[in-house]
Amino acid sequence: MTLTRRRFLTGAAALGATALGATACTSPTTANPGRTTLWYSTNGLSEKVLGEAVQRFPAQKLTPNKVSGELNRRLLAALSGEAYLPDITMLGDGISTYFSATDRFADLNALGARQDESRYLPWKWQAGRSPGGFQLGFPIDTGPAALYYRHDLFAEAGLPSEPGAVAAALSTWDDYFEFAKRVKDKLPGRYLITDTKMVFTYSLAQEEQKYLDRENRYLADQSQVRRAWDRAVTAFRMGLTAGYAGAATGEGVDRRAAWTSGKEAAFVNASWITGNLKQSAPGTSGRWKVCQAPGGPGNQGGSFLAITRYCPDPQGAYEVVKWLMSPENQAASYLELGLFPSSPAVYSDPEVLAAEEFFGGQATIEVFGEIAEEVRPVYFSPWDITISDTYTDELANVESAGKDPDQAWQDARTAVERLLRRQGVLA
Amino acid sequence: MNRRWRYLPQYLAIAPFFVLFAIFGVYPVVYSLWLSFQRWNGVSEMKFVGLENFRFLLTDSVFWESIGNTLVIWVMSTIPMLVLSVLVALGLNSSVRHKGFLRVAYFLPNVTSIVAMSLVFGSFFSNEFGVLNWFLGLLGVDPVQWLTDPWAIRIAISVMIIWRWTGYNAIILLAGLQALPQDVYEAAKLDGAGPVQTFFRVTLPLLRPVLLFSVVMSAIGGLQIFTESQILLGDRGGPEGAGMTMVLYFYNTAFADNDFGYGAAIAWGIFVVVVLFSILNWRLVQRPDGGGK
Repeated sequence: MTLTRRRFLTGAAALGATALGATACTSPTTANPGRTTLWYSTNGLSEKVLGEAVQRFPAQKLTPNKVSGELNRRLLAALSGEAYLPDITMLGDGISTYFSATDRFADLNALGARQDESRYLPWKWQAGRSPGGFQLGFPIDTGPAALYYRHDLFAEAGLPSEPGAVAAALSTWDDYFEFAKRVKDKLPGRYLITDTKMVFTYSLAQEEQKYLDRENRYLADQSQVRRAWDRAVTAFRMGLTAGYAGAATGEGVDRRAAWTSGKEAAFVNASWITGNLKQSAPGTSGRWKVCQAPGGPGNQGGSFLAITRYCPDPQGAYEVVKWLMSPENQAASYLELGLFPSSPAVYSDPEVLAAEEFFGGQATIEVFGEIAEEVRPVYFSPWDITISDTYTDELANVESAGKDPDQAWQDARTAVERLLRRQGVLA
Repeated sequence: MNRRWRYLPQYLAIAPFFVLFAIFGVYPVVYSLWLSFQRWNGVSEMKFVGLENFRFLLTDSVFWESIGNTLVIWVMSTIPMLVLSVLVALGLNSSVRHKGFLRVAYFLPNVTSIVAMSLVFGSFFSNEFGVLNWFLGLLGVDPVQWLTDPWAIRIAISVMIIWRWTGYNAIILLAGLQALPQDVYEAAKLDGAGPVQTFFRVTLPLLRPVLLFSVVMSAIGGLQIFTESQILLGDRGGPEGAGMTMVLYFYNTAFADNDFGYGAAIAWGIFVVVVLFSILNWRLVQRPDGGGK
């Protein structure tokens, strides 16, 4: 047969059509049919522990898959296409978004989770449960918030510098502001507050309620928000904020440089910042310590593992999840990546209680563990991140653009209420 | 053979484009229009809300500000960029050494990854430890809050756009310059016109079509400003939302806040703005004295 142009074109077109047709009909529901696919984000789980799990559960054929970028975005895309879904997936603190779609997941209680519940922090376990009692998430890590401070600088200012004494002197935010002022007077150019966002975020994290209740109703009483706001504005008015708000805070070059130079002599943050701090300011090793944050215990961030409905062997998947999150493996993940354990048994594990050189010989897990056990359960609604961003955006306007705080508060409130009205939360 | 079937191979041959265009072009466009009438977080049931998203959009101050920001940044970047490009093109057109190397060097910023570039510029503009403020300090100038002051933010973004596009447009203008007829210049010389007069009276008017092309191209780019803002300032556009552009607002609403219905409505809002802009551009090119078609 000679190859004419017409035959070639017909053939090529037919081939193209077949290829398109074939892919359309065979996209599998799960990413790797016949295997158990687990999606996790970079540094979200220990690769060493995952590697052991692959060996340990040959029947499940576990296939860990590191998702670069936003895991949540990819999961939403897979869920709406009902294709290439993971069997097990990591979920962040926006887990409540999925409470409205529990039909897409497996109820862990049906797989024996009730027996395992007691080994984990009760508030964290509850955060993975929908208002209807559906256990969607299995706890991975938590983010207890503490005060990180430069003990050498505190001592230089003639102020308490040992964790117990610092915590005792700084039980409230007002104490903290007074203290920050004294440090600033003694050592000009040193700050104890990153920005107004730090005060707002961690003050609100200590409250029993945020913006919405568990039924996703806007709380009539938003006084806790106003309290956090007023504290943030007070810190700004007293001139205590380091003054680099807004520009991708926390990740910014300025903040890292401020750690190294000692300009930022203390700050309140969840435990997950430790790795970043060590990496950004290696020269300050030995000069940091941690203690209870002013204002009480609070949590910021943390993640969960969930099993999708599309997993053909949910019981097998649950065994994997349970093993991955066993206290021993949480201890290993903490030592490797700083993922703060959600299982209190780890807090007394001698291996994690070793003296830390970076923190001047302190075993920081003692402090964080104590905070984690005292955190009160709080509901984190699907809109909490957007609402918090709205408030902290307005705080940044106050801090760096000179906006009137009352006007900023009004604008933030209006924007939040408009958002919730659009979302159907408010009538 | 039936007349209809006779051309089948030809139709099949052009089909791949249309099939792919239908899947990746038409379908998403139609779907996004449908989506803009829904309330959807990406996972729950969609809820039809009629025109509510659009009603919200019309009264959404952030959206209007984002249009303003986009236009301001576009103007702040395009005008200096065009002036610089013309100067660079004139320089390259005169007899300088290493012409080939210089052309490549000027074009290089345009093919550099924007993300890498934004990170470098982030360190450059950094408020306290940035190279720029260090340099200003040497000159005895007070540091500028490049990434927190609303107007400094817009300048910083504009500088990045200027840096990226000056070389590109200079190369295009250079091609335009080289195509200009020499006899006009000779006539100007005979009439006794100096170099400045020649530039304003001869070169610029003759370059008008090429300049218009550059303006249209930068308008297309300018309405899509996104990466510079996002990397430099994060999803929410920095203090006072000064770096919040239309596309960044759309991205933030749909993909950071999981508000896909409203995100789609914003996308259609951007579409309307782009249409208005296209009409404006078209009118500009259509002007009878403009030398356009």
